[in-house]
Amino acid sequence: MKYKDYYDTLGVPRTASLDDIKKAYRKLARTHHPDLSKAPDAELRFKDIGEAYATLKDSAKRAAYDELGHPQAGAEFKPPPQWQQDFAPGDMSFDDLDLADLLAAMGQGQRGHARQAMPLKGQDFESSVTIPLEDARRGTTVNLTLADGAGERTLQVTIPPGACQDQKLRLRGQGGKGRNGGPDGDIYLHIKLAPHPVFRPDHRDLYFDLILSPWEAALGTEVEVPTLEGPVLLTIPPGTRNGRKLRLRGRGLAAHNDLYALVHIDVPTTLSPRERELFQELAKVSSFRPRAATPQENRHDTRHP
Amino acid sequence: MTQDTLECFILDTTETITLHELAECCGMSPAELDELVDYNALVPLPDAAPERAFSAHWVIPLRSAAKMRLDFDLDLFTVAILLGQLVQIELLQRQLASLQALLPAHVRQT
Repeated sequence: MKYKDYYDTLGVPRTASLDDIKKAYRKLARTHHPDLSKAPDAELRFKDIGEAYATLKDSAKRAAYDELGHPQAGAEFKPPPQWQQDFAPGDMSFDDLDLADLLAAMGQGQRGHARQAMPLKGQDFESSVTIPLEDARRGTTVNLTLADGAGERTLQVTIPPGACQDQKLRLRGQGGKGRNGGPDGDIYLHIKLAPHPVFRPDHRDLYFDLILSPWEAALGTEVEVPTLEGPVLLTIPPGTRNGRKLRLRGRGLAAHNDLYALVHIDVPTTLSPRERELFQELAKVSSFRPRAATPQENRHDTRHP
Repeated sequence: MTQDTLECFILDTTETITLHELAECCGMSPAELDELVDYNALVPLPDAAPERAFSAHWVIPLRSAAKMRLDFDLDLFTVAILLGQLVQIELLQRQLASLQALLPAHVRQT
């Protein structure tokens, strides 16, 4: 068994108080937490400081650890024989354990007392899967490959219809095996939706941009629009304004959610002589005054107070 | 290599979870969850009997808070505050996604 210098890992003297140890741990945890640090060895460093803190914050474990003296870090050492009786779980030999396992096992029973091994829940796994919107609507099956102590296994997971962005699923009892009669761990599956060139999801509704010409918007028309299940005809009512949402009921990610066409009215950037003529005539005869209808939107326009 | 087909349990407001199962999911004790309820950080479903039950949407933020508790050696009251903040962040992220869905594609790309 190799000795690890937990005091050195936390950067505290061997006489450090519990408060000093906690303060040093929190400082290092803040620096090396894998969610906060981009360093390639952050996870390993965080594991090391966690292991050191788990021992030194517990007075019984710290006392047992201090009994080992102060060998060189990494040096081979033999734990006191009494530890076999007191701490090694079940019939396990010290040879099967490292220092961290041994000290962790101390928390599961009281030193000097006969004890039963404590049930331990198996390890939980977190995984994510990205699926296209079409699969999210109709439901799909994905293969998850997991590697754990039991070897590599592939699970076929059925994702029900109507999955949405960032939905979390739990696969109960499919994680690591429990020990000493403890329950098996779970798998938590994070669903992500692949970006779609046309549709944008909002929970289980979908949006897409529908670009109309001014005359289509003013006069109304029927246009072919895309849905996840193929194109359909959408009736554009006369007088459709820019920004209006037109609903296609039941065409969202779930059968009871909707698809919305967001109307954007575009104009031609260049006009033929005839088009110009028609627009000019329209400008003359039309009584439509868009700014008069919404004066609050033009409060900075001082030309017509 | 073995292969099984598995059904999922959806972790959202459509599913419920008992106090003991939630505790098991999050690596916390039922008594600790009761304390989070006392702090109004965790809200049980009304009229759940005989055991307290919760919406399954609590599982993910509570697991995150429980993991941070272990990682940073936080006390339970801090976990209660943290849980509230995590739920709030989730809500704001959802609102942001809704607003982004309403933006036309050419605006989203800029």
